[in-house]
Amino acid sequence: MTTEVDALVLRYLQDLEGELRDLPANRRQELLDEVGEHIAAARAALDPETEAGVRTVLERLGDPADIAAEARERGGVQRPPVRPATPWLEVIAIVLLVIPFAGWVVGVVLVWLSRLWTTRDKLIGTLGGMSWVLAGLGTVMTSAGGSRAVGSAPLGPSETSLMAVVLVVIPFVLPVLAAIYLGFRLRGRDAAASAPPS
Amino acid sequence: MVPAKRESLITQMRRGTLEYCVLALLRDQPRYGFDLVRSLGAADGLVTSEGTIYPLLSRLRRDGLVTTTWHESPSGPPRRYYQLTSEGGRALALFTTEWDRFTDAVDHLLRQGGSP
Repeated sequence: MTTEVDALVLRYLQDLEGELRDLPANRRQELLDEVGEHIAAARAALDPETEAGVRTVLERLGDPADIAAEARERGGVQRPPVRPATPWLEVIAIVLLVIPFAGWVVGVVLVWLSRLWTTRDKLIGTLGGMSWVLAGLGTVMTSAGGSRAVGSAPLGPSETSLMAVVLVVIPFVLPVLAAIYLGFRLRGRDAAASAPPS
Repeated sequence: MVPAKRESLITQMRRGTLEYCVLALLRDQPRYGFDLVRSLGAADGLVTSEGTIYPLLSRLRRDGLVTTTWHESPSGPPRRYYQLTSEGGRALALFTTEWDRFTDAVDHLLRQGGSP
């Protein structure tokens, strides 16, 4: 009986200690001592001490979270800003976007799985990541156009090399630009999330 | 009035006055925590969670309005008693004067709508 009641009290004080963890250690200990003394005095006043009686003592003390909130308010302690967790999904998506071929495909899929980017951000990421598709289509169309254009003037050497440069540059450079853009959008989100509410 | 509004109204009124109720309870004699908290709890609507008094006592002590001393208890271990300091006494006297003035003004407006 006594051990059950002791366990109840111990759990309450442990909950309170957990709620008070962002307070300076001396203030936290002071409050734990005082609430502990309160419980001891209240238990001494119970005659006889019953489990229901002790539960009532703890209920009257209130939710440990309420006591901690009061301690923060009375003590002028701000709840430390919750540091946004590292957005791993987004980081991996950005890294994949700059890795050619399979990376581009998986990166685009991850971009759409994210809930941190806006639809516009995701479209930009997709166009960048999938730019090799555009380049590929361009190649097919060029060669198709070339075969259809048999008889007409063939592409000059300078035009061919320009086309080659474009076809190489688009799939390799645009994903990098898209990845940089998405990274900036992620940083902007972090700054907004950690700014104090106005 | 909807319960949520009533609750927040009481919370706001309590916020500014509760510390002076604590000082008032300590005016005539020092009290230990449990005794102090139960006396406050006996006043209707002043305290919902008894535990929230301890952060308040902690602040009153840091502000120098209250000190703590240890006294033997008739049963069990020694108890921490909260005692009004002279500065606490002055703060309580000032509040009492202002409170009388304030409640007179509010009462007047509430009951007579401001007519003389």
